[in-house]
Order: sequence, then C-alpha cells, then structure tokens
Amino acid sequence: MAIRVNPKIIDDLEGYGAEDVQLCYHCGNCSAVCPHADEFNVFPRRPMRYLQMGLERKLETSLEPWLCYYCGQCSDQCPRGAEPGETMMSLRRWLISRYDITGIARLFFKSTKVELAAVIIVALLTGIFFLGFGLWQGDINVYDGSNAFLPSSFIHNFDLALGFLVALFIGLSAFRFWWFSMGGKSAVPIPWWLYIKKVYLLPWHFFTQKRFADCEKETTRRIYLPWLAHLGLMLGYVTMLFIVMVFVKQLQAGPEINWSVHVFGYLASLGLLIGAVYMLRGRLKKNRTQYQRSHGSDWIFLVLLFIIALTGVTQHILHRSGLLLAANIVYIVHLMVVVPWLLRMPFTKWAHMFLRPLGMYFSAVRNEALTRQRSGIETTVPARKVA
Amino acid sequence: MSFEPRILGILCNWCSYAGADLAGTSRIHYPPNIRVIRVMCSARVDPTFVVKALVSGADGVLICGCHPGDCHYSEGNYKTMRRIPLLKKVLTDLGIEDERVRLEWISASEGQRFADIVKDMTERIRALGPSRISAELDVDPREK
Amino acid sequence: MESRECKIGVYICNCGTNIAKVVDCEAVREYISELPQVAIARTYKYMCSNPGQELIIQDIKEQGLDRVVVAACSPRMHERTFRAALQTAGLNPYMFEMANIREQCSWVHDDPQAATEKAKALTQAAVFRVAYHEALEQMMVDMCPNTLVIGAGIAGLTAALELADAGQKVYLLDKQDHLGGNLARVDLTAPYLDSARDLLTERITRVKTSDNIELLLNSRLQELKGYVGNFSATLVSVDSDDTEENKAQKIEVGNVIVCTGYKEFPAERVTHFGYGKLPNVITSFDFEKMLRAGRIECKDGEIPNYVAIIHCVGSRSPEYHGYCSRVCCMTALKYVHEIKSAIPSCYVSDLYIDMHAFGKGHEDFYRRTSEVKTMFLMFGKGDHPIIRSAGPKDDCQMLIEVNEQLSGEVIEIPADLVILMVGMEAREDATETARLVNISQDKDGWFIESHPKLDPVATTTDGIYIAGTCVAPKDIPDTVAQARAAAGRILAKIAKGKIAVDAIYAEINEDSCSGCRICNELCPYSAIEFDDEKKRSHVLSVMCKACGACVAACPSGAIKGRHFTDQQMFAQIEGVLR
Repeated sequence: MAIRVNPKIIDDLEGYGAEDVQLCYHCGNCSAVCPHADEFNVFPRRPMRYLQMGLERKLETSLEPWLCYYCGQCSDQCPRGAEPGETMMSLRRWLISRYDITGIARLFFKSTKVELAAVIIVALLTGIFFLGFGLWQGDINVYDGSNAFLPSSFIHNFDLALGFLVALFIGLSAFRFWWFSMGGKSAVPIPWWLYIKKVYLLPWHFFTQKRFADCEKETTRRIYLPWLAHLGLMLGYVTMLFIVMVFVKQLQAGPEINWSVHVFGYLASLGLLIGAVYMLRGRLKKNRTQYQRSHGSDWIFLVLLFIIALTGVTQHILHRSGLLLAANIVYIVHLMVVVPWLLRMPFTKWAHMFLRPLGMYFSAVRNEALTRQRSGIETTVPARKVA
Repeated sequence: MSFEPRILGILCNWCSYAGADLAGTSRIHYPPNIRVIRVMCSARVDPTFVVKALVSGADGVLICGCHPGDCHYSEGNYKTMRRIPLLKKVLTDLGIEDERVRLEWISASEGQRFADIVKDMTERIRALGPSRISAELDVDPREK
Repeated sequence: MESRECKIGVYICNCGTNIAKVVDCEAVREYISELPQVAIARTYKYMCSNPGQELIIQDIKEQGLDRVVVAACSPRMHERTFRAALQTAGLNPYMFEMANIREQCSWVHDDPQAATEKAKALTQAAVFRVAYHEALEQMMVDMCPNTLVIGAGIAGLTAALELADAGQKVYLLDKQDHLGGNLARVDLTAPYLDSARDLLTERITRVKTSDNIELLLNSRLQELKGYVGNFSATLVSVDSDDTEENKAQKIEVGNVIVCTGYKEFPAERVTHFGYGKLPNVITSFDFEKMLRAGRIECKDGEIPNYVAIIHCVGSRSPEYHGYCSRVCCMTALKYVHEIKSAIPSCYVSDLYIDMHAFGKGHEDFYRRTSEVKTMFLMFGKGDHPIIRSAGPKDDCQMLIEVNEQLSGEVIEIPADLVILMVGMEAREDATETARLVNISQDKDGWFIESHPKLDPVATTTDGIYIAGTCVAPKDIPDTVAQARAAAGRILAKIAKGKIAVDAIYAEINEDSCSGCRICNELCPYSAIEFDDEKKRSHVLSVMCKACGACVAACPSGAIKGRHFTDQQMFAQIEGVLR
C-alpha cells in the first residue's frame, strides 16, 4: 500500500528546531560519518528523508533519533548545511510530544513563552504555598527539627507524591514509545525473551552513556569532554534525585555534616554545576557544532537546573553557617524552581534521560529480531556500518 | 588452425566510415578480419575494385554507403544500389558465391550496426571457406 | 605492382596507450621499414602533438622525404593537421595518407596479435597508395558575403545580428509569422529568473530596424543549389506548394546557418500520465502559457494547493528518447519559484530521476529551490509515476503513486495540478531541412556536427553551419554561444574574400572520352558539360564535389577522380590484403 506523503509535517517540525532539513539532497555523508549508524539504522539520512516527505507514521515508529547523542559530526560533514544533527535533536523533541498524551509537550516545544509562563505560574504558586504553609505551622528562623519552617517529613511526603505523578506520566510516555516502535505499530515481530536477553543494556546505557563516548572514538579530536560533562550532569542529577527522594531527612538535618549522605550530595552537586556551566557556556559561546543552535527548551532546561543546583548548595552552606532565616528563604526559592522543574519533566527535553537508554535497548532487541528473521532466509550478515 | 577470412571493407566517407569510427570511439568490438578503405561515396566503387580485391586474396568484400535518401551527394548510393547487384550477378555466373560480396547501408550513428554486420559477415565467410579465386590464380598472399 | 621511385616517411602513433596497448607499434614499424619505398619509419607517443609534427617536418627537410604516411587515428580527426604539417615543410599537402589504426583497429580489437597484423596491413595499404599520390593545388573562388539564416528563434536572431552588426547582408527566414521561435513561448528563464520577453524584445527590435537584415517570415527554403561561397537559395511562402514557381524568390548567399530549433515532446504519447484525459495534467508549455497570462489555476478556475512536477517526460527513456533534454530540470525549479511566489501556501513536489544542475549558477538555483521547501522525490529510470483521480474524501484532485528511491517507499502524492516536463525532440521538418542543405541527422534526428567537440557548429557540408537546439537540446547561453560562433566563422571567411575549394574533383581526359554522355546524367550537381563542337564532356571543377560516381561509371575509363584514382585505389587494396 502506498503511503500518503504529508508536506505539512516539515512545517510543523520547524517549530521543534528542524529548520534546514529541506536542504538535504541525500548524499549520505552524515550516515557514513555517524559512528552509530548500522545496516538496520541508517541515520540521520533516513529519518531526514521521512521528514522531508512527511511520512509521519515512519517517523513515529522510528528508534533512530534515540540512538543519537548529537556529537555533531554529521552536521560538520553535511555539504548542504542541512544540519542533520539538529534535525535528529528536533525529531527527539517531536517524538517526546508524540509520546505524551496530554499535549503539554507539544505546547511547550512549540512555544518557549508558554513554557516559561507555565514555569513562572507554578513557581509562584509553589512559593505562595510553601511560604503560607511554613508561616502557618513553623518558624521561619528554624531550618530543621520539630519546629522547622519546612519540616523534612512534609517535604519527603511532598517529594514522593510529586515523584509518583511524574513517574506516572513518564511511564505513560515510555509505554507509548514502546507501542509505537516495538508493539502495535511496529511491523517487526519480536520474541518476548529477547527483551529479557537484552535487558542489561538498559542500566548499561543509562549509567555509562558509553555510546556518547563512542562518538568521540572515531574522530581525530578524541576529546571526551562533551561526554564527561553530560555523564557528570546526568549522574549528579540521578544521585541527587535519589537522595532527595529517600534521604531528605538526613540531608536537611544539621548543622553537623552527615558524611555518609552528604558526600553524595556534594559529588552530585559538583557534577550538576560543572556539567550545567560547561553546557551553558558552550551554548552561549556556540563553541561546538551541537551548541550552534539552542531551542528555547534547551535554555530553560539548563538555566533551571543551574538554579536548582545553586540554590541547593547555597541553602546547605547557609544552614551550616547558622544563617537559618536566609537558608529558609533560599529553600523556598529552591522549591519554587524544583517543583515546576519536576512537573514539566515528562513533557520536555528532560524525558530523554529515560527515553534514550530505552530507545537503545529497544533498538538492540529489534536489531537482533531482524537478524534472526533474516537468517531464516539467508545467511547471517554481521551488523556493520553502511552509508 | 582455423580459417581466418580476409574481408575488404569499402566505406563511404560521410556515413559508413564515420559509423565505423563511431564503433571505435564507442569501443564496440568486432572481428579483426575486416580491413577498411575509404571512398568519398559508395558510387565511386568501381566493379573492378571488387574484382581486384577478390584476385588479391580477399575472401569477401563489404561495401557500405549512406542509407537511401541520406547520401551526402544526394543520390550516389542509388547508383551503388543498382551497380552492385549487377556485379554480383556477373560474379555468381563466374562461380563466386553470392555471400562474398555484400552491400549494406550504415549511417554515421550506427557504430553498433557496423560491428554487427562485420561480425555476421565474418561468420558467414568463415563458414563458406576460403575464396577459390586467389588459390586458382595462385596469388594467395598467405603462402608468401 | 611496379615500384615507383619515392621516399616515404612512415610515422606510427602510440596515441599514449590508446593504440600501443593493443597494437605492437614497434613490430609495425619494423615490418613497414622493410618496404622498398619507405625511407624512414618511426613510432612516437603522440604524432598530432607539436613535437610529433615537428618530427615529420624535420624529416622532410633533412631526409628529403617526398611522401608521408601517418598511422594513427581516423583521417576524419587529424588528416588536416598533418596536411598542414606537410605544407609547413614545403611539401604538397596531398602527398599524404593516413592509416586508421585507432578507431578501426586498437579500439575495436582485443587480440594484440591480430590487431598488430591488421595495423601492418592498413599501414602498408597507405604506403602503397601514397606512392601514387600527386601534388594537387587548391582553387580559390570568390565568396558571396550574404548569409541565409534559417530559423528566427534566439539563435537565428543572435546570428543575424552578429553578421548584420559587422556590416554583412543577412536573410532571416522563418516559417512562422513572428520572430522569437520557441523562446517566445516562455515566461521567465532559469536560473536568474529574468524574463524571456526581455531577452527577446531587444533582439527583435534591432533585427527589425537593421538595414542589413531582410526578414522573410511565413517562408521556407525550397531549394539550395551551389557550393560554399556561392549558394543559390529558392524561398517560397509556407502556404505555397512546390509547383507554384511564380511566388518563389531566389537569393544568392555564401553561407547558411541552420537554427531551426526543436519541438516539444508530445505528452500524449506517454499514456500512463493521463495527459489529455485528466484535465489538470498539463505540459510545461501549457504551464508557460498560464504563467505568461499571470494566473496559475486548475481547469475549474480554482487555485491549486498542491502542484506536482514530473521530470523527464519523453527524455532519458528507452521507449521514447534516450537523451537528456538538458533544460527541463532547471525549468522545473523555475516553476517552483514562480508557483511559490504566486501562491505562497502551495505545496510543490518535484519528481525527478536525477537532478541535472550542470550549468553556471544551476547548483545554487537548486539549493535556493530546496530552501523554499520543495518536496524533491526521486523515481527510478525504468519506473514511472502513475496519476489517478483522488477520491471525494481527499483534499486534492489527483494522487500520484511512485516508488520513491531515496526512501525506498511506495508513496502517494497529493496534487491539484500536474506539470509534465516534456523534453525536446527534433522537428518533423528536420529531415527535409537536412536534405535541402545536405547535412546529416543522428539517430534522434538532430543535425550532425563536423566534429562534436572540435568543430561543433560546422557540418560536413562546407558553408552550412548549425546552431542551437536543432543540433541537440541545449539552454539559452549555449544556443547563443553557438549562434555567435557560427556567425564568427562566417565573418572570418568573408574577411578573407576568397575561399579555397578542395583540390579533389573529377577530370575528364578528352582524348579518351568517347562522348557517350553517360556521365552527364549521373552527376547530381550538373557539373559535367558536353561540348557539342568537340563532342566531348568536361567537368566544371568548381561545381564538382568529388563523389566519384562518374569515375566509376565511365566505360572508357576517361574520368579521373583526383586523389581517388584507380591506381591509388588498386594500390591500397593490394596493400591492405597482402
């Protein structure tokens, strides 16, 4: 059956940042240079073609955008300035909004103003709520303990409730991701046990981001800084999320330092701050191909993250220094950023933290299914790089 | 060793010789048995040229001109068209096989056609065997 | 055959490796150098190069050679080159013969032994023949400075102006009642989007006001007689048939430029596009008409939301024309720009086989067309898109199904208007024109150049030049360049005043002539006159074109075809077969 092209998709993607995809004339240099393109995943060329032609369904079911870490080599090689790297990035944004059932992601990606307004409104509401709550039940001059302005047990419960909500939407998006690419909408039948065989890849890609390091492997520059910064930021973030969710009481207790918990907090903060500063500086200076173009969502992501890390560290220092009123005020500010940050998680760039390792895991499963399917007919061809 | 026929090609300058050149520039291969000489028009082909070729050791003679209507000299090939069959009649009466003398029209763009005709004619003459005339006249140059 | 006293120099060209990789040139040299009349035999890597020619000139001067044979490429390629070298060395240029051991030997045979044997025979034939060559002198004849230009498109207008501006008389002939030819049907031109009208208006105004140009519209060539420098052309009105002699106009011209142009491929020949059946499937020329009228619309007057452009209609296909029509790719891109500027919301898809953006500024133009979001779709050469009417639920008039090559998907494209990029083909009257001016056509009907690379505007008939799209599909800059080149060639000849007529013609030995008059009727140029007093025929050498028909026919053997004498031919036959 012939698939209907949709020339309007390319206009739609423009809002997600894919502004130059129409310039591509399919020389294939991008896929040739990409360290991750293989015989089953010919990208960026193939998804760029689907996008040019507006083959919505093909794009929706594609895993290829998730196999890319945006090292920028494809864009460097592109003879036409069609920005394949940025196109892959834009496709990830578009896919996030496709997986999201609420429509919020689409709204945010299409308009930075809307996202910013939402962040500000939630921040203000959060500020009012916590200020009111703190003033009503506690003492603004007490940071921890029974009479604390913001008691850790309350924060803990609040965190858990928020975490549950976020996990629910992330879970929904992840399920739709699976459904589109591997389940009902996919054409490749996949034996269930392959999911188990390859499941180790999920934590592997999540915690190591090994493939980002591989991006550097084939270049002459061999600088692993983008990978290191990304890994530091991400591990710092995950560590922080974990200790905030589980050990918020120990974290908030003081003024003496509880090294068994705090040491992780320090390391995580360090990773977050260095990572965020590295990327913000990169985006401001546009010193790398992947930092040439920044979508509004990229800025909001980094700026909020930086403020969270900064206010987190500041309130900790203020607390230990005995400046409790100041610590509580910074705490309020911290929460004003954290709450909108967490709430918008499933609908923004942040979702890639889960979706990318998931995509790599799915891709490995699908590749093997395809190899098996084919070897039933012909001899097994080892997966190798093709243009 | 198998018999390798010797074929003389007499080609008109404007169409057939250009067509044979085109076979060359297009690298279309054909048997080396043909050796070509050039005349300005196939109408210049005097019957004595053919007879001279046959007594000089040719096993076949191929005469090529422009397609009827395409002659550079308007109507030269029409003269050839009448002249050669007449010659062939005389030659057959003398016991020379009809296939040894052949008239074909080849345009400047028909390199492939030229190669095909040479191939075909070489095979036919090969099947026919050596011409008896040169042997009988004892002028077979291959003996030398 | 008796041995003649002569000193022949034989030069065997390696042509780089073109000859030498198949033919053992050294073996040929050894064989040839043993022939009695050969004074010297050499091999050299490129005989046609300056040092190669120097070699010949030096040998003629130092060794006193009186005849030269070069075994190399086709005489159609370099005979003139070497004749000129002989002349430089003070030898008559006709004391020369070429053996074609490249086009008719090394390029067509792969057995080195057989090819070497054949090369020996061909070279030997040339040696035998050249021994009988005679010094011939070229004749100089007066040259009529007037020129006939056939076809008043952009090529004809340009050529006519070029000649008229130089002060020469031009007859500009066209079958139509207006000037401009095919270009007058075009709106804008690629890649700079300037208007065809602007390009033409300036030319047409100047042509109309020029004192040196005589316009002959609604007219055609009925007959062309004579030879270079002295043609006599008969022109008639297009409506008249050949018997109406009274309306005919006779003009004297020295040269003719044929620039009769092309005609568009008839789209109805391709049935699967539904041209003529689906109302909104149109050709590029239909679309030009729309553009010139200033409104892009469907048959029902609606503004199209989706336009699809299909390339290579009739071109690059084994069924129709194998060649590329060269201008359609850029014309298609031009349409995209014109559509997008007229209807910004319109989606344009462009279905191509290969995008040929070969010319100056073309690649940039292609890029600019990408920037306006054209959906470029590639289909296979053996494949073709299929157009059908859309259903009531679709938001478009038609759907085009195509196997898209860059994605590997079979897709469906919405379209309200489909533009078929019809290619160029030779005009129906090209055969008649070719016959009238005595030039050849290739397998596609295009006129054949004297040499496709080195002599692209001349033909095998001296004094007849070709320019523009009657030679092959080409764009405006190439057409204009050819027209100016042809005019330039003619001006150079006019500047000389007289022209050399080839020294090769027939001669009648009056002593042997029996006065049978067989030759009189044979000559297609009426170049043989019968002298009633002497009862003998004689040849008007200027009129003779050296076909040799009379030579072969003379029962008394009284006619000698200069440079193709019986002796020369016999010697060559003997040499090639020995």
